[in-house]
Amino acid sequence: MSKIAKRIPGLILAAAMLLSIAACGGSAASSDNSTVSDSKAGSSEALVQKESVTLSLWHIWAADSESSKAPFEKVLADFQTANPDIKLKVDATENETYKTKIRAAVAANEAPDIFFYWSGGYMKSFVDAGKLLPLNDYLDDETRSRQLTGTLSNMTFDGKIYGLAHSMSVGTFFINKELFAQNNVKIPETYEDLTAAVKAFRGKGITPMAVGAKDTWCIDMYLDILETRQAGYDACYKALTKTGSFEEPDIIEGARKLQELIDMGAFTDGAQGVTRDESEVPFYEGKIPMYFNGSWTIGNIMRPDSKIKDKIQIIKFPKLSDKSDINDFTGGVSEIFVVNANTKFKDESVKAIKYISENFAKEVYLAGAGLPTWKVSVDESKIDPLTKELVKLTQDSKTYTLWWNTLLEGDDSQLYMNKSAELFAKRITPEQFVKDLQTMNTKK
Amino acid sequence: MKSLKSQKTPLDYIAKSVIYLILGLWTIASLFPIYWLVCFSLKDNSEIFGGNVAGLPNHFLWKNYATAFMNGKVGTYLLNSTFVTGMTIIFTTIVATMSAYALIRMKWKFQKVSMSIMLLGMMIPIHSALLPIFLMMRTVGAIKNTVWSLIIPYTAFAIPMAIMIITGFLDTIPRELEEAACIDGCSIYRTFLTVILPLLRPAVATVAIFTFLQAWNELMFAVVFISEDSAKTLTVGIQSMSGQYQTSWGPIGAALVVATLPTLLIYLLLNKQVQKSLVAGAVKG
Amino acid sequence: MDRVFSDKKAIFIFMLPGILFFLAIIAAPVIMSAYYSTQNWDGIGRSVFTGLENFKKLFVHNVDGFPLSVRNSFIFLAVSVFIQLPISLFFALLLARGVKGEGFFRGAYFVPVIISTVVIGQLWMKIYHPEYGLLNVVLNNMGLGGLTQKWLGDPKTALFSSFVPILWQYVGYHMLLMYAAIKSVSPDIYEAAKIDGSGELSTTFRITLPLISPMLKVSVTFSAVGSLKVFDLIYVLTNGGPAGTTEVPSTLMVKTIFMSNQYGYGSAMAVFIIAECLLFTALINKLFGKIQVN
Repeated sequence: MSKIAKRIPGLILAAAMLLSIAACGGSAASSDNSTVSDSKAGSSEALVQKESVTLSLWHIWAADSESSKAPFEKVLADFQTANPDIKLKVDATENETYKTKIRAAVAANEAPDIFFYWSGGYMKSFVDAGKLLPLNDYLDDETRSRQLTGTLSNMTFDGKIYGLAHSMSVGTFFINKELFAQNNVKIPETYEDLTAAVKAFRGKGITPMAVGAKDTWCIDMYLDILETRQAGYDACYKALTKTGSFEEPDIIEGARKLQELIDMGAFTDGAQGVTRDESEVPFYEGKIPMYFNGSWTIGNIMRPDSKIKDKIQIIKFPKLSDKSDINDFTGGVSEIFVVNANTKFKDESVKAIKYISENFAKEVYLAGAGLPTWKVSVDESKIDPLTKELVKLTQDSKTYTLWWNTLLEGDDSQLYMNKSAELFAKRITPEQFVKDLQTMNTKK
Repeated sequence: MKSLKSQKTPLDYIAKSVIYLILGLWTIASLFPIYWLVCFSLKDNSEIFGGNVAGLPNHFLWKNYATAFMNGKVGTYLLNSTFVTGMTIIFTTIVATMSAYALIRMKWKFQKVSMSIMLLGMMIPIHSALLPIFLMMRTVGAIKNTVWSLIIPYTAFAIPMAIMIITGFLDTIPRELEEAACIDGCSIYRTFLTVILPLLRPAVATVAIFTFLQAWNELMFAVVFISEDSAKTLTVGIQSMSGQYQTSWGPIGAALVVATLPTLLIYLLLNKQVQKSLVAGAVKG
Repeated sequence: MDRVFSDKKAIFIFMLPGILFFLAIIAAPVIMSAYYSTQNWDGIGRSVFTGLENFKKLFVHNVDGFPLSVRNSFIFLAVSVFIQLPISLFFALLLARGVKGEGFFRGAYFVPVIISTVVIGQLWMKIYHPEYGLLNVVLNNMGLGGLTQKWLGDPKTALFSSFVPILWQYVGYHMLLMYAAIKSVSPDIYEAAKIDGSGELSTTFRITLPLISPMLKVSVTFSAVGSLKVFDLIYVLTNGGPAGTTEVPSTLMVKTIFMSNQYGYGSAMAVFIIAECLLFTALINKLFGKIQVN
């Protein structure tokens, strides 16, 4: 996009922001009457009999095997009971095809009233084109205060909030403690421990770490954390937000460590021909000792028929340099619900996503499918032990760097994924890797 | 052509065995997917991914079929797929036979050029047409979100190939029949309907099977154009069985078996006709 | 008589539905793509006219590997025409000579064509898997462990590994076309050749092949166009990976349009693919025209 094109919406946004700030000042009082405060007593002040409206809602939890599906359907059912005047027309589409479907729908102005999307740079093109409804006017302080701090930052652009999250995911290092014990290997606390563990397992013919590198984002799981642990949060964040450079010695070093691990045989054989599904099977069979992936993996580990339910432990990924902090994590809030800017029923739509995200937060947490972004009260005894471990582990978290491929915008994200695949295949050197990434910061 | 049977030397026997060996091996290679798919549909993830890739299932998990069908919509999806595919075949056949007849039998100025332009349709990367067609479809409110929004593009993309097959076949039908009908005072429309159409049966069978394959298996248009459960097709249903972070593949295998069966049946049914049409229309291509 | 067959009204009526479908669903998107290809557009927001900039980007200072994808599709085209089609021809000749169970073989060989891409893709992923894949297991059992590869996972072998399934799948298709052509050659011609004392091989080369050359042209054209816009199986098997080594123009186009939000640039790829297909079709026509004249 040219500079001018970018600047114009920027100015409009700035002007709109002033207006919305002004509006916000008075809205706290007024919005309490007009927009229904959600989870309290339902539609208590429905003095006038309202005509029922139908909202369309699209999401991605279509498969029964998905651990978010049942909780989500429960929330929808609860919403219907609590709000008989709002009917939801729900459509679920498989994740990969959903991405194409929703883009086409938004382009054709055929998008549903409410839909699932991903935060960060991923949603930026929708925001720039004015396709999403800014929620500032609809979120009173009380609603905001019920969410955990920082939750809204990934969907805030120029001070405007464009979505609500329900849960967050954390890049999580899973350790099969039984395999470690059986083979007398020390659970890694430092990089040296990690390489020693890799070599020890490889020596015994055990694949040390799982990765389904055919799905490039699985490589990025490892690369994101290696860079965070090597170069530290600040350096990464600056490079990713175009305020710094990728061409830093530490970012090169992070990439080099990935190739070093590959050379040691740390990963699944022929990883780049293997999908995530395939690569995870031996891990669930208890044959692979280490796995770094999103915290959603817990859902699978804790399945009733799981063979590794009691064998898995969660640890912090070891530190690679003094610039990083062991309490910097990857991941964060990426799955959100947004409202179509062209919806006929703005109030109802916002009311629906407020209800859905807050209640889904709770259900997802109970199902072990993610950490809630709302201050929810649940019966802690119902939370599975691994999720509890994760909560404990992330209690001292300092920062979260969103998955790089979500944080970056469309073509930049694609570039990152292409380059990390090439790095993994050793078709480029770490030096070349950062040089190629830097093109996204130097282009016009 | 019957040379194999004439004089038999030991060398002939060896040659013959080698030939049958090659033919046999390729048969195995060709039929293997069916065997494999059926086995796949009766296994769980750990067998599918590594435990037992090609063998018979250790435990026959018939419940995979139950799981695939538990999603009560599979019936609707199957029905929709059948309707969409059936309609696409019918429209393609009607439109393509008409066009082919005008293109090859009638006499007009831009015949050759028109033929070439129509065949252009085969060269379009279908994904690039996705958004433009979607943008156009939404302006026609009546077909939006219905199976018709699939039938129309499927038909359009099937027509070029169909025209090619039918013109090839038409060329082999002697003109005398039509000329006789013409002398008898038949109108051109009647001639087409009563004389030509019945002769085209083998070609239509060929068109039917290729169109069937295309429409029955199509995914991207079906995903993007339809957001209404009542209008979704089987491929979309199967696709939606795979999850973002976890998928059980056994039931997907079962659904794939269900989706593949009609294809095999149709093929068995039309095989002979296809053969006839290709043999007849062959030389012209 | 001629009057009946050149009746303008009848021609119009016969052609109308075809033309309507063509204009609305085929021509319009092509024109729209051509228009988008001159724009810098993300598919959603505002677009900016950039002339031929997108086409330049395909080859000059290219960063996404489009030239490599074109090269890959050319390799695929060559492999299809020079390896797949000869195999098809071999089987077609063999079956048309009359072997026992002719109909059965013919039917069986066509089966892969009618199995959906998803199934074929899943099957070959199981064949190629580096650890438990059938191919490596068989090699190991035969004591040829040294030949095992990571197939789809290794940039060096991935390209050819991803071609093999497509070649295999469509051998039956081309075989059927050629078989049909051979069968439609009048048996008298063979009898005559035999009486002339022509051997089987020379009959094949001197009589059969020239006679079926129109069908060979069709096969070559289908094969070429199919290779240039190949998408489905590559998408399922490698999706262009590892590290972009098996990318073909169509897979890259889909990624550019739907994943990296460069609709204008992706449209330029689409236009390029269409132009390429036209060019090759014309070329093949010319080539066969020459052969037929000789």
